[in-house]
Amino acid sequence: MITSAAYRHWTRRARPLLGTLVEVGVPAGITDGEALVRAAFAAIADVQACLSRFDADSELSRFHALAPGQSMPVGMHAATVLQAAQQLHDASDGLFDVSLGSAPRGWRCDGHRLHKLDAAVRLDLGGIAKGYAVDSAVAALQSAGCDSGWVNAGGDLRVFGEVALPLSLRDEAAGGVRPLATLHDGALATSHFGAGSRSHAHARHAVRAHVSVAAPQCLWADALTKLVAISGDPHHPELDRHGARAWTH
Amino acid sequence: MRIVLAASALALAPASAFAVDYLSAEQAAKLMFPDADRFESREVTLDAAQMQTLAAQGVPARSARWPVRVAQRAGATLGFVVVDNVVGKFELITYAVGIGTDGAVKQVEILSYRESHGHEIRLPAWRKQFVGKTAGSPLHVGDDIANISGATLSCTHVTDGVKRIVAVVDLARRNGALG
Repeated sequence: MITSAAYRHWTRRARPLLGTLVEVGVPAGITDGEALVRAAFAAIADVQACLSRFDADSELSRFHALAPGQSMPVGMHAATVLQAAQQLHDASDGLFDVSLGSAPRGWRCDGHRLHKLDAAVRLDLGGIAKGYAVDSAVAALQSAGCDSGWVNAGGDLRVFGEVALPLSLRDEAAGGVRPLATLHDGALATSHFGAGSRSHAHARHAVRAHVSVAAPQCLWADALTKLVAISGDPHHPELDRHGARAWTH
Repeated sequence: MRIVLAASALALAPASAFAVDYLSAEQAAKLMFPDADRFESREVTLDAAQMQTLAAQGVPARSARWPVRVAQRAGATLGFVVVDNVVGKFELITYAVGIGTDGAVKQVEILSYRESHGHEIRLPAWRKQFVGKTAGSPLHVGDDIANISGATLSCTHVTDGVKRIVAVVDLARRNGALG
């Protein structure tokens, strides 16, 4: 039985990345704990450098500069995220759309090759890449031998190993936090949709509240919150495919 | 994967404050400049003309006085560390910026995070209690490892603050105020 925080002490670090604050937690007192934390932040910075639409040198920005009919090679980060986005787009009858309506069929990713099919296409991976970045940071921690910990990118978070992480939800209207859940060995993403929320696409969303999705992988927790919000269906069949559960609250 | 929802998650329980201390200013300085054998405290004081210069660069200095830790090894300067606070919608964030001798940002570390009820954060007394404090502050949450979800928190204020600090340190170096 895992009894949350009392199990051991933790080293926690936070840095501004992905347009929000990213927190990494690893067991305190282990050898090279600071090096582990640095590796996790480096993994996130790497994803950000590839996929940010704000960075002129990112693969995403270079894709936007292509002429229709052209294609370019992309690395593992872009290929993984874009193929997941493509799959979710097809499985949701187009509800999940990283082109945000600019040209849903205006791009295609085959393996590590990204094709531009329409001059109007603009990709915004804000609804899926943050979760992927969290998965990448967790993978970096695990491959460096870290047996438990967590990564939280402004509400998209994943916890692994022998820790049950207590989660709180921020009150977007008046400040302060409320207990939300305890999470063990999985990912949770919560998005707030409604006036004043950070999501500029909220006008498209059927749900005007919080949507939380728990899934084994943070990429899917992140992306599926958007699908549940847009479809208004917390039992959308795509949840099952990724071992996910959703709540609106 | 196992998730247990709190009873209050779906009801409207009263909200409470939230605080995390990550590092003290001293710990952050040592993390950023592990080779330093000494951190010398200096204070950069900007005059009206310098404040105007910064405002013209699009980074209003906000304060005329900026404490700077100068990282040194055997008397040679390795870089600079500046600690600052920014206030967001409901949050107060203390952070440290490490800057190399080339003027480039080496590292940014969050020192502490305070999530308050909306009314508290505008009160100078509430904010003042955290200035210069990190570990051991009144709201220390001990070994609680709680994390916030759904924090649609933007780090724009931190990003703007980092730019301001880079400009202040650059100006101070060019004027010889940091040696």
